[in-house]
Amino acid sequence: MLKDITFGQYFDSKSVIHKADPRIKIVLLVFVIVFIFLSKNFWGLGLSALFILITMLVSKIPLKMYFKNLKAILPILIFTSIINIFYGEGDVLLSIWKFEITLGGLERAGFMALRIMLLIIASSTLTYATTPNDLTDAIESLLSPLRFIGLKTAVHTLAMMMTIALRFIPTLVEEAEKIMNAQKARGADLESGNLKEKIKALIPILIPLLFSAVRRAAELADAMECRCYNSGEGKTRMKQLKLHFRDFSITLITLIFGAGVILLNIFM
Amino acid sequence: MSNIIEIKNVTYNYIEDEVEYTAVDNVSLDIKRGSFTVILGHNGSGKSTLAKMMNGLNKPTAGDIVVDGINTKDEETELLVKRKVGMVFQNPDNQLVASIVEEDVAFGPENLGLEPQLIRKRVDEALESVGMAEFKDSTPHHLSGGQKQRIAIAGMIAMRPECLILDEPTAMLDPKGRAEIITTIEHLNKQGMTVVLITHYMEEAQNADRVLVMNDGKFIADGTPKEIFKNVSMLKSVGLDVPQTTELLYELNQNGISVPTDVLSIEETANAIAAFLEEK
Amino acid sequence: MSVLKVQNLSHTYGGNTPFYSDAVSNVSFTVEQGEMIGIIGHTGSGKSTLVQHLNGILKPTEGEIFIDEENIWERPKEIRKIRSKVGLVFQYPEYQLFEETVFADIAFGPKNMGLMGDELKKRVLDTCRLIGVKDEYLEKSPFDLSGGEKRRVAIAGVMAMRPKIIVFDEPTAGLDPKGRQDIIKIINDYRTAYNATVIIISHSMEDMAVMADKLIVMSKGEVVMLDKTEKVFAQGDRLRSIGLNVPIVTRVFDALRQKGISVPDDVFTVERAVEALKQIKAGDRNA
Repeated sequence: MLKDITFGQYFDSKSVIHKADPRIKIVLLVFVIVFIFLSKNFWGLGLSALFILITMLVSKIPLKMYFKNLKAILPILIFTSIINIFYGEGDVLLSIWKFEITLGGLERAGFMALRIMLLIIASSTLTYATTPNDLTDAIESLLSPLRFIGLKTAVHTLAMMMTIALRFIPTLVEEAEKIMNAQKARGADLESGNLKEKIKALIPILIPLLFSAVRRAAELADAMECRCYNSGEGKTRMKQLKLHFRDFSITLITLIFGAGVILLNIFM
Repeated sequence: MSNIIEIKNVTYNYIEDEVEYTAVDNVSLDIKRGSFTVILGHNGSGKSTLAKMMNGLNKPTAGDIVVDGINTKDEETELLVKRKVGMVFQNPDNQLVASIVEEDVAFGPENLGLEPQLIRKRVDEALESVGMAEFKDSTPHHLSGGQKQRIAIAGMIAMRPECLILDEPTAMLDPKGRAEIITTIEHLNKQGMTVVLITHYMEEAQNADRVLVMNDGKFIADGTPKEIFKNVSMLKSVGLDVPQTTELLYELNQNGISVPTDVLSIEETANAIAAFLEEK
Repeated sequence: MSVLKVQNLSHTYGGNTPFYSDAVSNVSFTVEQGEMIGIIGHTGSGKSTLVQHLNGILKPTEGEIFIDEENIWERPKEIRKIRSKVGLVFQYPEYQLFEETVFADIAFGPKNMGLMGDELKKRVLDTCRLIGVKDEYLEKSPFDLSGGEKRRVAIAGVMAMRPKIIVFDEPTAGLDPKGRQDIIKIINDYRTAYNATVIIISHSMEDMAVMADKLIVMSKGEVVMLDKTEKVFAQGDRLRSIGLNVPIVTRVFDALRQKGISVPDDVFTVERAVEALKQIKAGDRNA
């Protein structure tokens, strides 16, 4: 159950996308998100989808990894679709009480659902194809102009927090699962009951998890101190980020697709 | 100067629920460069508190600890002390910072502000010396306990400390993991690293230069492994783990069969028993 | 009548997680009431996966589990009932403590089984008395106890459900010798008091030699040996071939035999070793 959460987990399939500079990848993801939102019609969105499909294939990440992330947002997907179905115009297909399902509504719902799915897939590609540390380095590097307004430590602290969070998410997920099983073994009922009872049933899981997280944090703080951590003062990096030819190529290809989306918006 | 660490009349008190306790009680000890020292003690004997004082993580309530000529109380040289004395803890999970093995090992050297190429070189060498080079791109989460602990050790030696302190590094590991760690530690010591190993497993001390037994915040025995292991009843009385070979020889003595008790390996034990059986 | 029967049990962690390998395949065995069974094997040999099936935490991919001749998955909705028959103490159980007081934490299990009022109180107090949780601890916060005491309270929490089968996954991991002996003692006390069946996963062949009647040896998800403890330890070569070993004292006797000294081959505990050596010496004198 909890094991299914792989979001934020690196998947090493050694593609050109894996090798690309993480800063470029983040900037391009932002760009892709923008042109997904700019797509006003199915033509534009279709081209976006084509671009994302190509990225998926190039990244060599198994399709089921994407499905897992899509499954996680399924409730949101269904919710937005339902809302949109009833907000359309055009021919009424079906009418339930005060609500009317229209062709326009269906179209709109499909459009929104596709848009959300594309957003998730695009972001998943970034997180699957980039190590958490690379991501953090990239964010730190992209935010580094902030040091000119006196936010240097803040930028570093944010990056360090992200690194640690990403490192400990799998550990804590596994731990949560262990605690859940241990309380189940003591007869805890985590499945049935009303909402209030269900929330109450979480206490035996959340409290030990919290204690464990605090204990781990204290030990980690000691260990980091022993490794001469000094809030990033004078810190260097083993892996220096450097732009390669492939980074320029990827950028160019993405820009061409983006231009295509804008053209389709205007002319179709 | 042949001592890397000098512990001089050190006491450590702490307050819990408004009551003052003494964890380390007026202890003195010198750690020689290149030596392999083992501190044995049960949980709560004060051995971990002492360990944390040796690199300045804890500061003594009374007395001084001098690392390579620097007093750990001096706040300006705090980082220098930690750079000279590396520390490995019990739970390997809670020492690793990064999600990729080599990036984790690089964390210390990066904090020291070394040049990228130099960090690369040190990370590769450190991983090589703990036998984990092939896992440099792995995620720690997918490694065994023993492997994770070896990464933690690599993270320390990549900082090139002069002394490595290990606080019960095998307590949470399975027998295979324990063997991996002890082999790694002994290998590092042979290459010249000063090692202080804190443990409650007596057999981990068998190749040490010097063994100290700690109880109630004090050293109650100090000597070579053989000298210490002779006194089985003392070791048992302070709640230490005695290997089954020692246990057997001890029980034989209790039953009026006199065999030496200062041997540890299976072969030596068999020899001792064979010698006894051959006597007429 | 066997109290526990595992039949052709297989469990594979589905294709959705590429990272798990602790699977079990085609495992069968039976356990009689009151037996003490040891499970030995490497980390990743499937031991932990196997025991999590015994109280229905995991559902078998294939095969059945019978408790008192009843298939536990006959009525999946009532799987919680099995948990009062089969107690499972996980590794490092002290990390599951959560209540404000020791009493409340030990009462959590029996309360989930439906015990209330005086009956619940009596159950908790009886359990504490049996395994030596002192009365003055009952109103303390479990988080204020020492490591060894925390573990004892956590184990009490499972024992208070009075399971007729109780399973321990490395109950002594991370403890010092004193703490280990305490835990072994309370396991034995519970077994004696309720004629309970005990199943223990352990890495210590030495502990198993003293405690277990029978051993289940696992390797790569399969049961490779299942026999009386002495019969298993008599097959040192086979154990070594899967990376395990016999108790150290047995290895000492093997070394003696290699020196050409004739010693008995059923020595697995220090007690037996001392006895055997005394006999040999006495025999020498008489000869």
